[in-house]
Amino acid sequence: MDAIRLSPDDSVATVLRAVSRGERVRIGGGGADIVLEAIENVPLCHKIALMALRPGDRILKYGEPIGEATQAIRPGGHVHVHNLRSLRARAR
Amino acid sequence: MTQRNERSFQGFHRADGSIGVRNHLLVLSIGGLTIPTARRIASSIRGALMVGFPYNAGSLLGDDRATWRRSIFRMPVHPNVGAVLLIGDNPVLAAEVAAEVARSGRPFAALTMDDCDHDAVTLTERGLRAAARLAMAISSDRRTPAPLSALCLGLECGRSDPSSGLVSNPLLGRVADRLVDAGGRAIIGETVEWLGAEHLLERRAATPAVAAAIRAAVRRREETAISHGLDLTGNNPGPTNIAAGLSSIEEKALGNVAKSGSRPIQGVLAYGEAAGAPGCWVMDAPAYASESLTGFTVAGAQLMLFTTGVGNSFVSALAPTLKVSANPVTCTKVGEQLDLDASRVFLGEEPPEAAADRLWQRMLEVANGAATWGEVLGEGDEVVARYGPAM
Repeated sequence: MDAIRLSPDDSVATVLRAVSRGERVRIGGGGADIVLEAIENVPLCHKIALMALRPGDRILKYGEPIGEATQAIRPGGHVHVHNLRSLRARAR
Repeated sequence: MTQRNERSFQGFHRADGSIGVRNHLLVLSIGGLTIPTARRIASSIRGALMVGFPYNAGSLLGDDRATWRRSIFRMPVHPNVGAVLLIGDNPVLAAEVAAEVARSGRPFAALTMDDCDHDAVTLTERGLRAAARLAMAISSDRRTPAPLSALCLGLECGRSDPSSGLVSNPLLGRVADRLVDAGGRAIIGETVEWLGAEHLLERRAATPAVAAAIRAAVRRREETAISHGLDLTGNNPGPTNIAAGLSSIEEKALGNVAKSGSRPIQGVLAYGEAAGAPGCWVMDAPAYASESLTGFTVAGAQLMLFTTGVGNSFVSALAPTLKVSANPVTCTKVGEQLDLDASRVFLGEEPPEAAADRLWQRMLEVANGAATWGEVLGEGDEVVARYGPAM
């Protein structure tokens, strides 16, 4: 296993080793095991997208929302502060 | 988890009924002006511990006043403190604190600038002689068996990364559950790091009122951030957390609350407030580790468990702090900081319950007197949180 999905519904997995663009990444943990091609480098402990996400989509980890996508994200992409923003402590 | 039959540790029984895992001579400066003198005295006595309160508690207002008074009055009677030298620049406050220490039955001495012709050199000389006598007096104290239910554990994380939420914090949760099941107390703080995970804490609230108090504490922190125009991303998670892979406060919080285990939450404590009954508690407190740990210290926690992602050298001064990481890179880089290497769990080579068992065993060894890396290296401080303006 190269990355762990913490809950079957999660949109991201946490990589357990640094992965490079073009590598096949074995995803384990909650839900069915899958293999996904990384389309970007993903550093150790960072998140890799498991599905296509559109701007405004909720991003789930631990089966819970950790923010929303701010741009389109493709499966195998690196998910971080450049394309995910918090839903909390924002002026309403 | 292998349930070995430990029901006790070896501790220092105090006259006030509390039980310590250390027998510190505390040199406590209750005002800012005498901190250098306190430092001078403590550095001359082997094993003495210095803590300084940099402000004048008399001029603080509102929550700060309550927090500082609680801290100044509770720290010298912390279970891990065997004797106290109080040093200060406010004779009225010093007399009040001295009376509290006297009630606890601990040997102590109290000296202020006013007793020493306002001369720091005289204060140093008299303080040094008094501290030497206190150190001699407690040198014959011995450990005797004590029940695990006497322990209160502070649960902290700092310079976290995703491995903290994935592995290390759940390990702390297992140990916290085990202590709670033995009749002890466990506390998590860092209110801002409940944002996005508060529903998980609310579900475990012992009563609806506790759930409402958790929700209210989170709302207050969130409204404070909003009213100050603070974007939490970049603040909490901070730059180090972000570089390590945490993207939002929700992601950090969902990992953070795993430290508290799974047992019912008995209540929401104010900063430094003691847990009145056994069980798991949450403390409404700042997230920065130095302030957070001191909240637990003032509440009487004798031990801290502290997870880190990339490494964090800070520990409590009064309470031995066991540091845990599961990040395989970190574990190779900061070996003289980590009391437990959980990287094999991260790599899938060790079951989490086995690592939790190792942590539990190590925690009991430390309770019995084994040193933490933080103690060996002389890390450790106490920093009381501040909130508002002062006179």
